[in-house]
Amino acid sequence: MSKTQGSSHDGATAAVMSAANEAVTTATLPTTAAPSVRAVSVSFVLNGREVTWEGDPSAKLLDVLRDDLRLTGVKCGCREGECGACSILLDGVLVNSCMVAAGRVGGTEVTTIEGYCTTERFKVLDATFARRSAVQCGYCIPGMVLAAEALLSANPHPTEEEVRTGISGNLCRCTGYNAIVDAILDASKEGEGLW
Amino acid sequence: MVDRYAPTSLAAALDLMAHEELVPYAGGTDLMVDEALGRPFVFLHGIEELKGITDNEDSFIVGAGVTYRELLAHPATPELLKEAVAQIAAPAIRNTATLAGNIANASPKGDGALVCFAADAEIVLRSAETARRVPIASFYEGRGKTVRRPDELVTAVIIPKKHLAGYRFEKVGARKALAISRVSFVGLMTIEESVVAHLALAFGAVEDVVARRPAIDAMLIGKTIEAARGAAEEYLAAWDEAIQPIRGRVSAEYRKQVCLNLARDFITCRLG
Ligand SMILES: Cc1cc2nc3c(=O)[nH]c(=O)nc-3n(C[C@H](O)[C@H](O)[C@H](O)COP(=O)(O)OP(=O)(O)OC[C@H]3O[C@@H](n4cnc5c(N)ncnc54)[C@H](O)[C@@H]3O)c2cc1C
Ligand code: FES
Ligand code: FES
Repeated sequence: MSKTQGSSHDGATAAVMSAANEAVTTATLPTTAAPSVRAVSVSFVLNGREVTWEGDPSAKLLDVLRDDLRLTGVKCGCREGECGACSILLDGVLVNSCMVAAGRVGGTEVTTIEGYCTTERFKVLDATFARRSAVQCGYCIPGMVLAAEALLSANPHPTEEEVRTGISGNLCRCTGYNAIVDAILDASKEGEGLW
Repeated sequence: MVDRYAPTSLAAALDLMAHEELVPYAGGTDLMVDEALGRPFVFLHGIEELKGITDNEDSFIVGAGVTYRELLAHPATPELLKEAVAQIAAPAIRNTATLAGNIANASPKGDGALVCFAADAEIVLRSAETARRVPIASFYEGRGKTVRRPDELVTAVIIPKKHLAGYRFEKVGARKALAISRVSFVGLMTIEESVVAHLALAFGAVEDVVARRPAIDAMLIGKTIEAARGAAEEYLAAWDEAIQPIRGRVSAEYRKQVCLNLARDFITCRLG
């Protein structure tokens, strides 16, 4: 997986990231926008640690995580809920962080790939993704891994079709999905008892 | 820290809404597509009273805080609703999105709203002072416009179960890349003792609001299968006349044609 993260600084990615950065600058400044803007402070548990963030509660959680809290494993591919690159677990449930307002997460537990990659379950997925060569550019992979986690924790022995449904909101431009599906199926066998 | 814009009771939420104009936030999956910051959200997810699903003998009641994920998991969810919801987006969206949000969003493309139109559902609205039930056909004033007052919340959707059995649900060209060709359809027909006892067609994404015309459906209701077959062309012609495709869209005529084809196929299949 470390290879994956290294490769995320290619040109296309940088463009996407800087677009995200611009959007956030407006998010965190008390702006010109509607007079109704009210900064709030939002406390939540992020990857096991209590954090407090202050800002506009209507900001996208994606921007808060990437730009303010520097968790760049959360990728930005579309900002419209279509690609799944920004997937996180909110109280254990898979959501797209671009579709969540910052004010929604007060009192919740948020897990990003940075938190998830310290778990035993991650180690199993890491190994099967590597063995199946399921990672090419890697941009979709943090989201894929969290979608796999959401699926396996609800259904430890999914069928191939259930795996495909489980990752249906996660687009991959590189792999054609088969290797990813196989990696998740392998993990469901090799991780017996973990999910 | 307690955020007063994330109320934990319906009374607290309605009290806030009585004093300032707020934007109800359920799953956020329509709201967050827009980039506009600074919208004064009131978050509904902490309100227990909105999370109930009630399965009565003649109606299925969905609280405004119930997610698609919960609807899919519930044993009493009517098959038609399940089928439509299962085809909405992907798990991450269905994990938070709600039927009430789909209806309140007032897009003619809402699949949940489409089902509710076909089923003649009612929308329950509450404010700090008032409570009312509005038939879904009267809930809309146009694209993106509803009769909901700024101090009101949708609290539940009441779906009559009576006519839901003989349904057909179709979603045509639903991929986002093909969005312009997207049409959705619900047909309900009940035949009792060789008589058309009930008929309701509804079309999504062709007019500013879901298209539903009980007066046209009445042309076949009460007729024997035989007589209904004879009147089918007249019935379909009435739909052709009635549908006013959204103006200025190149695809509008095409979408209308898809609707008419779906209607013809449904009627001829059911009447034999
Ligand atoms: C990638 C993607 C794919 C999608 N695919 C589909 C699809 O195939 N079919 C489809 O129909 N939809 C689709 N949607 C749209 C969306 O998911 C649904 O419309 C969803 O049901 C909206 O519910 P929500 O709870 O997220 O609404 P929100 O975004 O929270 O709210 C939507 C609107 O309703 C208002 N509102 C919400 N709750 C209440 C309430 N209790 N009282 C008053 N007003 C309220 C809000 O203020 C807002 O105006 C898609 C969205 C995305 C991002
Ligand atoms: S960036 Fe959130 S789904 Fe694409
Ligand atoms: S590996 Fe490149 S997008 Fe999936």
